[in-house]
This record gives sequence, C-alpha cells and structure tokens, in this order.
Amino acid sequence: MHTGKRLAGAVVAAGVSLLVVSACGSGGSSNNGKTVSSSFADCATKPNTCNSGDTKSGGTFTFTIEKTIDNWNQNDGDGNTQDFGEVLDGVLPSVFNGQPDLGPALNTDLVTSAQQTSANPQTIVYKINPKAVWDDGTPVTADDFVYAWKTQNGKDCKDCNAASTSGYDQMKSVTGSDNGKTVTVVYDTPFTDWKQPFGPLYPAHIAQQHGDLAASWKWFGENPVNYSAGPYKISDYQKDVSVTEVPNPKWWGKKPSLDKLVFRIITDQNQEVPALQNNEVQAIYPQPNQDLVNQVKALAPNVQYTLGKGLTWEHLDLNLKNKFLADKTLRQAVFTAVNRQAIIDKTVGQFAPGIKPLNNHNFMPGQAGYKDTVTASGAGNGDIEKAKKLLTDAGYKGVGTALTTAAGEPVTMRISYTIGNTLRQASAELFQNEMQQLGIKVTITPIQSLGKTLSAGDFDAIIYAWVGTPFPFAGAVQIWTEAGGSDYGHWSNPQADALTKQAASESDLKKATDLLNQADQMLSNDYYSLPLFQKPTFLAVYSQFANIRDNATNVGPAYNDGEWGLRASAK
Amino acid sequence: MLAYVIRRIFVSIPILIGSTILVFIMVKFSGDPLEGLKMRNPPPPRQTILNEEHRLRLDKPVWEQYWLWLKGLVLHGDFGPSVHGNINIGHELGDRLFVTLRLVVLSVLIALIFAVITGVVSAVKQYSATDYSFTFLGFLFLAMPSFWFAILLKSAGIAYNQATGTEAFFTIGEKSVLLTDDSGWGQFKDIAGHMVLPTISLALISYAAWSRFQRASMLEVLNSDYVRLARAKGLRSRQVLVRHALRTALIPLTTVTALDIAALLGGAVITEMVFQWHGLGDYLLRSIRDHDAYAMMGWLLVSAIIVIVFNLIADLLYSVLDPRIRYE
Repeated sequence: MHTGKRLAGAVVAAGVSLLVVSACGSGGSSNNGKTVSSSFADCATKPNTCNSGDTKSGGTFTFTIEKTIDNWNQNDGDGNTQDFGEVLDGVLPSVFNGQPDLGPALNTDLVTSAQQTSANPQTIVYKINPKAVWDDGTPVTADDFVYAWKTQNGKDCKDCNAASTSGYDQMKSVTGSDNGKTVTVVYDTPFTDWKQPFGPLYPAHIAQQHGDLAASWKWFGENPVNYSAGPYKISDYQKDVSVTEVPNPKWWGKKPSLDKLVFRIITDQNQEVPALQNNEVQAIYPQPNQDLVNQVKALAPNVQYTLGKGLTWEHLDLNLKNKFLADKTLRQAVFTAVNRQAIIDKTVGQFAPGIKPLNNHNFMPGQAGYKDTVTASGAGNGDIEKAKKLLTDAGYKGVGTALTTAAGEPVTMRISYTIGNTLRQASAELFQNEMQQLGIKVTITPIQSLGKTLSAGDFDAIIYAWVGTPFPFAGAVQIWTEAGGSDYGHWSNPQADALTKQAASESDLKKATDLLNQADQMLSNDYYSLPLFQKPTFLAVYSQFANIRDNATNVGPAYNDGEWGLRASAK
Repeated sequence: MLAYVIRRIFVSIPILIGSTILVFIMVKFSGDPLEGLKMRNPPPPRQTILNEEHRLRLDKPVWEQYWLWLKGLVLHGDFGPSVHGNINIGHELGDRLFVTLRLVVLSVLIALIFAVITGVVSAVKQYSATDYSFTFLGFLFLAMPSFWFAILLKSAGIAYNQATGTEAFFTIGEKSVLLTDDSGWGQFKDIAGHMVLPTISLALISYAAWSRFQRASMLEVLNSDYVRLARAKGLRSRQVLVRHALRTALIPLTTVTALDIAALLGGAVITEMVFQWHGLGDYLLRSIRDHDAYAMMGWLLVSAIIVIVFNLIADLLYSVLDPRIRYE
C-alpha cells in the first residue's frame, strides 16, 4: 500500500519533470552564424524575387501581426501602423509600393503609368488602369485621388486626423479627365517624393454616402473595410484576434491562389514562436533577438527564416545645448572614440552577423542614394588615441583620467535610453566605457518616456531610432532642419538646412539626392548625430509556402500577398 | 446586516475616489499618450497632434481633466476618451470582464476542488507518502513563476500534438479563427483545446496556496475537542470528517478564495498575455504600453470595485459560515 502511494508520488513528480524537460528541449540549437535558410538563400542578391515558386490553388495561410486594429482608416494617425498596413496591402491599392530592395515600384494593376510631364510647375499624370474597379463594380477613378488629396492636405479637412500631409499639402490641384481615368496633379512647389502620395486609396463613392470629408473620414476609421480594389477582400474580422481575407471576385489582376489569407494578431512577441511551432500561424515577422532566432532555427527544415536589414536605424545624438557638447572638438572626440562595430558585436551582431555600421542619415544601404558620409569624418571607429589627441590639442586637461575644460571644469554627461530596451542599455554601457577612457564621467540614465525627454531636451547624449523610408526627402526636412520640429539636439546649420529644403523641393531626383547627401555630409562633419546600425528584420515561414519574402519598407512582407500560395510541389 | 452592507458600500466610495486620484496623477506623469504618434517618421501634421490633444483633454490642466472624467463617469457612465479614438472604454471593459470571467471561473472551480481534496487527504494522512507528495507539489507550484509554468504547459501541449499528430491543444486565443469541423462536437473540442492549458496554468497557482490553507485548517479542526468528542461518541469516521470537521475547516479557505478571486478577476495578467486571451489583464498591459490614461482609470475602477465587493462577500460569508459572527 505504502509502496503504491510512493509510486503515485513519484509518477506525479516525474510528470512535472517531463514538462520541464520538454520545455527546455524546445529551446533550440546554438547560433550557427547563418542569417538565412535555404529558401531565402538568394535574398541578399535578389531581394525582389527570392523564395519564388509556382503555386497551386487552395490552402489557408496565416500571417502574424503584432498590433490590434484600432482604426480602419490607414491614413489616419491612429490607423497608420505597419501591421494594419500589411492587412490592407492586398485590399486597398496604392500607386507606388515599397519593394524588398527598398525602391518604390509602380502598381501597374492600379495605374498603367505615372509620369512627371512638366517640371515647372511640377505636373504628374496618372493613367488609371481601365480594368480597375472596386468590388461593387464602381470604377476606380480620379475621384478617389481627389478624396485622398482633400482629406490629407491639411486645408480642406481640419478634422481629418491625417497621419501625414506630406506632398498633399504642396498640391495645387488634382483633376480628373478622360472619364475619370486620367488624373493630373499640379504641385505648387516641386515635391521630390512625388511617388509617395496616393496610398492606400479609399473609395470616394462610398465616402459620399457617409457625409462630408470629416464625417466620411471618421466613418472609414470606425468601420471594418468591407470594400476592395485589390486581390483580396476582408470576409471576417474578430476583434483583437484576426482578419480573414478571401479572393476578391472582381479583381482584374492575377488571381490569388490561396483560398483564405488570415492575419492573426499576437500582441506578445514571445508567443509567436510557439504558435508557429504548433502550426497555428504559418509566418511570423517579429523584431528578432538571439533567443527567438535560435528557437526558430530549431524548427528547420519545416520552417525557413531570413534575417534582413531593416529601415529602423539606431543612432547616438548629442545635445548641443549642453555646455560641454556645444564645443565641436569635444563632440568630435566623443564620436571618434565610439566603436560602432563593438556595439554591433555586443548586440544585434550576436544573431545577425551581416549587420554593419550605417554611414548615412537619410539613405540606407541598397537604396539608390546611399553614400558614405560618416567614415571620412573619423566618427564611429573607436579610435581612442585619436580622440585623446583631439582633446589634448584643444587644451583639455586630464585626458584619459579626469577630463576638464581648459578652464578646469570637469566634463561630465549623461547618456539616456528608453528603460527596458536591453539593446540600447548595452550600447549605453559601451559608450560609458569608451568615454571613461577619455576621462569623461558618463552617467547612464534610463528614461520612461522618449517623447517627453526629447521634447524637453532633457538629455546630453541619447540613443534612439528613426525609421527610414523609400521617400526620405520630406522626412529629412522635419528631422534635420532647425525649424523642422524634430531637431531635438538643437543642431543648427543654415547651409545644411537650405540644402535639405532644396532637396525636398526638386523635380529632378538625382539632383535632389546629391543635395541631400551634401547636407548629410555637413551633418556628419558637425558630429551631432552618429548613425549606429540598421536593426535587423526577421521573417520565418513554413517552407511549403512560396513567394513570401522580407520587405523592410512600410508596406511589409505582405506587399505581394496576392502571389502567396502553397508550392506546387507541396503535398 | 443590511445596514452593515450599506455602510460598507458608502465607506468604499471615498476609498475609490482616493485611489482614482492617486492613479490619475501617477498615470499623467508617467508618459505622453501621443508619444507614438509624435515619434513617427515622417512626423504627423501639427493639426493632427492638436486635434488629438484636444480630444484627450491634454490641453486642460490635470485637475480639470480629472474632474471631467469623474463628472462624465458619474453623470453619463462615460469612462473618458481612449488614446485609440474608436475604442469605447466602457464597452471594452465589459467585453473583457466576460473573457476573464470565463477563464477565472473554471480555473477557480478546478483549483478549489483539488485544493479541498488534497488538503483534506494531506491532513487526514499527515506525514504519509501521499501527504509528502502533495506537499511537494504544493510548494513546487507555489515556487514556480507563473509565466514560466505557462510556457512549460505550452511546450508540453505542442509536444503532445506533434507526438500524436493531432491538434488537441492550442497555444493562443480562445477559439480557432477558422474551424474545419463546425459541428457542435467540433466547436466543443476547439474551445476545450484552447481552454485546457490556460485553465490549468491559472488553476495551479491558486491550487498551490489553497491546498496548504486547507491542510492547515483541517489539521487544526481535526485536533479540536469537538471532533474528538464526536469520535468518542462513536460517530462514523466519514461522518466526523465531512459533517463536523470539513464544514468548519472550509471557513478560512472560503474567505481566502473570495479575496483571491477578486485579484484574479482584476486580470490574470500573465496567463492572458502568454495565451493571448483578451481579458482585463491584457487590457491593463495594453493601456500601460499605450499610456492610455482613461483606460487605466477604467481598469482600476473595475478592479477596485471587484476587490471591494469580494472583500464584502468574504466578510459576509464569515457570518454565514460561522454562527458566532454577527454584523450589526
């Protein structure tokens, strides 16, 4: 009897142990240094076509998004998230879409051409595809373009909470002709990023049924999208859980091969890999970390993955209002001592070996305008001796021990990062160590609110991120010019401001790129903001699905979801 | 008794108001609800930020923001504007309370049944192998961080699915988005497959503590004079245990359970997060992340009311279960 009880106890204990072991076993193997698995092997050289394959019809594919849908109007400030954008990629059309190679590509299903016909005044003519219709049979016309313009130009509808007025606010007129199938846009002042506006388009004929501009804008935000001019239409929405899409019967382009496409919402990143492993979702696109990458590696060969370079880029900024950092020589010494490769090695480099220091503030490697403006300035290479010499030559005392100004005032500073961000914490610790070698005492200051800290200018050095875009010119004016609104570190360079503004108002893209890179060079030479690295992206997909690939632009991997499908060879 | 209940309810009102003031001030100084919007690249137009500041009443002094919130709540049942303009905080709290209730009720029932059984068996068979086994398990579950245990359960569920080639257990959500078998049995299997792991996860946390309570309470009663007397009178062992000892020994557990249920209803935060159930706990996390001040206030209010009500229930249960206690 007693033996039986002991046995029962032992069985229970063993059961618990088994749970522990089974959980630990799923942790995965160690990092083997790869950044892709076989399906994605050619993504580095052929980003727009890798993981291609013939598909067969049928099947359901579930893609994970991380944010709930709180507003159905993607052009509204509240609805303008990348996650929701992915849901709409196959439903509402845009004139240009960001591609995996970070360049914009014309959506020829929507427009057969979009061309600048005049430089002065800048005039763009869009020819709408004659076959393009909304799923109720109403043709896509210039009215849809006019509606986008009027709701987002910041003038005709003050109550439309546009996520951005960029470009629309410079348009003088948007007019339709040719029975609404030709749209002519005339700009007041040239807008370099003219490929950015008109996406996603909302149907003007449905807007008309719901009041004036402001009322219809609100209606679009409040009601699930039950209209479509893309390969898919939304068939079901479960609040905070999922959006299900089915092929749009009125779609005039190539028919999607999937029966159903589901966007599943998982708001805690840590729960994505178990859901993938349990086949509850077939693809995840989380911000990677070492654990997550290793867990996915353990799911091979059923699950394939790729680590790419994202458009979100970390940078170290200095506050020029700080009495010490107002001195350019000190800033130069600080940036010269920072070793960006060491920061990468200690953070993202541990699971994404391909990440390199970033050398431009506006263009990312791979984008047409990318040019190294940083290396020549000597910043970011961790050259402590050179930094020391700069300080000594400038009359600083106590170089390498306890740095003081020539007047004898000890040089100290804070470095701030958002609390809980381990990547930035590690970067801040390295920075502290490097500054210590110059004799600068640095206090690491975790902050609760990045926005408040930046707005108040309550920092000396700070690490945070900007998100790059295929359309960098308008954003550059807002981020880098003195009156742009986001010049939190109070960098002032009238010449660079003029160049940046001129770059954003060019009708010649090549000239605009040159101008922006000239301004970028001045920014680097002033040692105000040091780009560190691009954060990696991470896509993991079941291998029986083809044509899904990473796209780091704001449209995300779902940019081509109409092509996703079961491989023809899949069982 | 009724007078006592009414008095307790009235006393609760200043407590509630005090706690809301405190939380409102803390939330207001914790971060900018429009930070996410302001940090976008390209940044949103100034007009959008101004519109949002006005809608969220950020253009008014803090005391006025609080007063408007309180006035709206008392006069119109309006919980205030959410950071997400389309979300009605009152509806959200109602929907989510129901989700949390579904999770909590079943797990509390399971935890209670097992806690009482193992607590009684442990007490009756004190220092036996069974008692040691239950004690070991009780302390093991007490010591395990709940998030870790939830992850273990998930892994075990996945391992079972893979070993058997079935889809018995699900790791996220309350039900499948697309059902392959939509018969009654198919739906039941699907819901059960989603509920098993989170329910066990939540139940075991409560079970561990409650079984220890029940064991201690049962031991105390078993060693009391009146139980000895009952035995001496020749009553059957089962009658002594169930009628005399257990009824008395349930009193402490009843009150502890009432208080714990209040805490669980406030949000089984970790369980909901790990298993992606969109209940009150999930809403709290989301509100904190979004600096959604009025959503946090709403959550606090609902949780505080639940705590106050269940405290009252616990006190009243005392008087029901123990005839020596009477409230005037």
